[in-house]
Amino acid sequence: MTPERWQQISRIFKSAILLDNEARAAYVASRCGRDDSLRVEVEKLIDSYGKANADEFMNGMAAEAAAPLLTDDEIGPHQDILNKGQQFGSYIILDSLGSGGMGEVYLARDTRLDRTVALKVLSPDISQDKRRMQRFRQEAKVASSLNQPNILTVFEFGEVDGLTFLATEYIDGETLRDHLEAKRLKLSEIVDISIQVLAALDAAHEARIVHRDIKPENVMLRRRDGVVKVLDFGLAKVTEHKYSTLEHDSDPEAITEFRTAPGVIMGTINYMSPEQAKASEIDERTDIWSMGVIMYEMVTGKIPFRGSTTSHTIVQILEKDPVPLTKLVKAPVELERIVMKAIAKKPVERYQTAKDMLADLRSFQKRLEISAELEQTSPLVTPDEPGLGAKKKRVLVFAVVGMLLATAAIFAINIRRSSRSAATPSVTTPAVAPVERTLTYWITVQKFKGRNPYQDPFSLAGEINFETGYRIRVNVRSPQQGYLYILNEGPASGAPEYNVVFPTPTANNGASLVPAGETIQIPKKSWLRFDTQQGVEKLWLVFSENVLTELEPIKQFASIETGGLITDPALNKSIKNLTDTHSATKPGVEKGETLTTVKAASKLLVYAIKLEHH
Amino acid sequence: MAEKPPQHEITQLLAQWREGNQSALDELYPLVYDELHRLARRYMSRERKGHTLQTTALINEAYVRLVDQRNVPWANRSHFFAISAQIMRRILIDHARRHQYAKRGGGARQVSLDEAATVVMPDQSGELLRLDEALKSLAEMDPRRSQVVELRYFGGLNNEEIAGVLHISENTVTRDWNMARAWLYQQLSGSTAN
Repeated sequence: MTPERWQQISRIFKSAILLDNEARAAYVASRCGRDDSLRVEVEKLIDSYGKANADEFMNGMAAEAAAPLLTDDEIGPHQDILNKGQQFGSYIILDSLGSGGMGEVYLARDTRLDRTVALKVLSPDISQDKRRMQRFRQEAKVASSLNQPNILTVFEFGEVDGLTFLATEYIDGETLRDHLEAKRLKLSEIVDISIQVLAALDAAHEARIVHRDIKPENVMLRRRDGVVKVLDFGLAKVTEHKYSTLEHDSDPEAITEFRTAPGVIMGTINYMSPEQAKASEIDERTDIWSMGVIMYEMVTGKIPFRGSTTSHTIVQILEKDPVPLTKLVKAPVELERIVMKAIAKKPVERYQTAKDMLADLRSFQKRLEISAELEQTSPLVTPDEPGLGAKKKRVLVFAVVGMLLATAAIFAINIRRSSRSAATPSVTTPAVAPVERTLTYWITVQKFKGRNPYQDPFSLAGEINFETGYRIRVNVRSPQQGYLYILNEGPASGAPEYNVVFPTPTANNGASLVPAGETIQIPKKSWLRFDTQQGVEKLWLVFSENVLTELEPIKQFASIETGGLITDPALNKSIKNLTDTHSATKPGVEKGETLTTVKAASKLLVYAIKLEHH
Repeated sequence: MAEKPPQHEITQLLAQWREGNQSALDELYPLVYDELHRLARRYMSRERKGHTLQTTALINEAYVRLVDQRNVPWANRSHFFAISAQIMRRILIDHARRHQYAKRGGGARQVSLDEAATVVMPDQSGELLRLDEALKSLAEMDPRRSQVVELRYFGGLNNEEIAGVLHISENTVTRDWNMARAWLYQQLSGSTAN
């Protein structure tokens, strides 16, 4: 039907359906004149209109009607291809291990050899692409010839009922990505992991195989003994193909294809070398680059090249000079040299072989072992990277009980020391071991309807526009040990009254001294709720290297019954003095995507999180 | 909490798109898709049988989670809902396709007991795919009416919201819907309009 015809029908239809049956017939007849086919079309449509009403056609929403369809894939965008207990060739499926961009991974038993394997079954749409499969098959064949303890062993590559699969050794462990999110790595551990990955790369490169997709997700750490296994040799090319589909093709189907491989873009792009980003020729040195990026991330907690969008990230990879490691953390200069060399923009300026890089790392490791200093066993002191460590909250020390009617936070400091250091303007940053207090925070919001939580909690890096029904939790963490005090100052005018948010009797045994590296949820098991008064609620965070005698007395007011309200005017006054004095020297604030890090060039950090309350 | 795309990125992309940058939509699409898909699956796995999926609630939640609401012009919200409707359509169609694939005995798949239960649905996936096709034909003749259907049926928007998104009156929305729905019914019940 032409659009013109359609419009013609439409004009008659819209008036006709407003009329009763008799009038309608007459109206349609008069409008259509001698054009019988037009009349037939209009009448058919009116008829359908009536039936659609009677059938309640499309009365609900698509999602309701189709909801059962959504439930049949619990694992990922792909449906489970195989089921538990199912026979698949000579394998029996024991369990599903998850899904990736390429397909599903199962735990299975090989009945011929009675061994447990990981079975990667490629999703049917990939299996059906002959060209990609040909490449994949060839690479998998070569990869399976690699025999090195740090390379995941490929047992079999084949096809059952038109489904392509890869059987590999099964590793009980976690990926380096999970490991990085769960904890900060020690220097010795970083070096150890890097050496093992490089050993795998060295063996592969000897066999002229370039991995092309080295990233923390492709590095497994075996639970039993910490042995590192590099995965997915030979799979990278297929992934890369998906990439180019997205990058150079605006066809919506291509976008869909991209998203069926969750994380492909976001996950891979950060470790992609400049030559990969430019789609030029790549060789072994591309893996060296990716290894460098991983090491950079392990050491600093930050990815060296990351933009807010894919294209920004690519620009960064191509053009940005990475911030030297030692600018971010207290890392050995030799380690910095190794990492920076690996991520030189020009391949010729990088390590030319994995072997060379391995040699440098091994001698660095030796020196570490010889000096066997504290440094080796203590976690690196790092500023926090949004989105990395934040997700997994460590067991918390402070169990603050169901709490206050109002919230606020203070980062506190030691007054005695600060009288000296606070006067130092933050501009003069000493090159060596600067005096610094660092505190990272983020806020978890839980919406409430009445007394009941509503929807899942979500986290924000910092300030929010607070809405009725929001209850919050403040999460703080510092690489340094210190004394923490958190106070709420409400929007009231006049002399402020404060409420104690931290410490409380139940949390941290009532102590204000917080250990380094621990994430503290405040409160731990419940939520902070503000009163209904509108305005800015300040949460004063006071974080100090030394105990603050003037703030210690706040502990006695920490009680659920009173909402932590401090009723001693003298104490309120001294808190105000403290915050007035120290909020003058503004700490540096790094607002990340999921975390905010506050730094003061002194031994005392005072900072107010401001929550707009509407 | 699950990983989510950075709020400011989405917010920026929405703003760029509103200013007419189509490539922003390309970037936005997969991000929103993942979030909506994840939420939809979570809702369904939590609520399972006997519950309906509230599309509007879903999109609202995605909006709250994805968009940094501090400095967002309200107009962005319409854009977000418009793209979300489109994406919900895609999500459901993708699922329907897979469902069909599975039913055809794709691969080595065996039907589990759980699934047997969903097969009781009278060919829901086939119906949805046919509707999608019909909607594509409608879009060729009359893009606006097809959009009205998309926003209402897939996005769960009410007439007022649709009117806001498309800059038309509510009456027009109602008329568009009546006509489009009648035509779609006709297409799906087998008679042809051509």
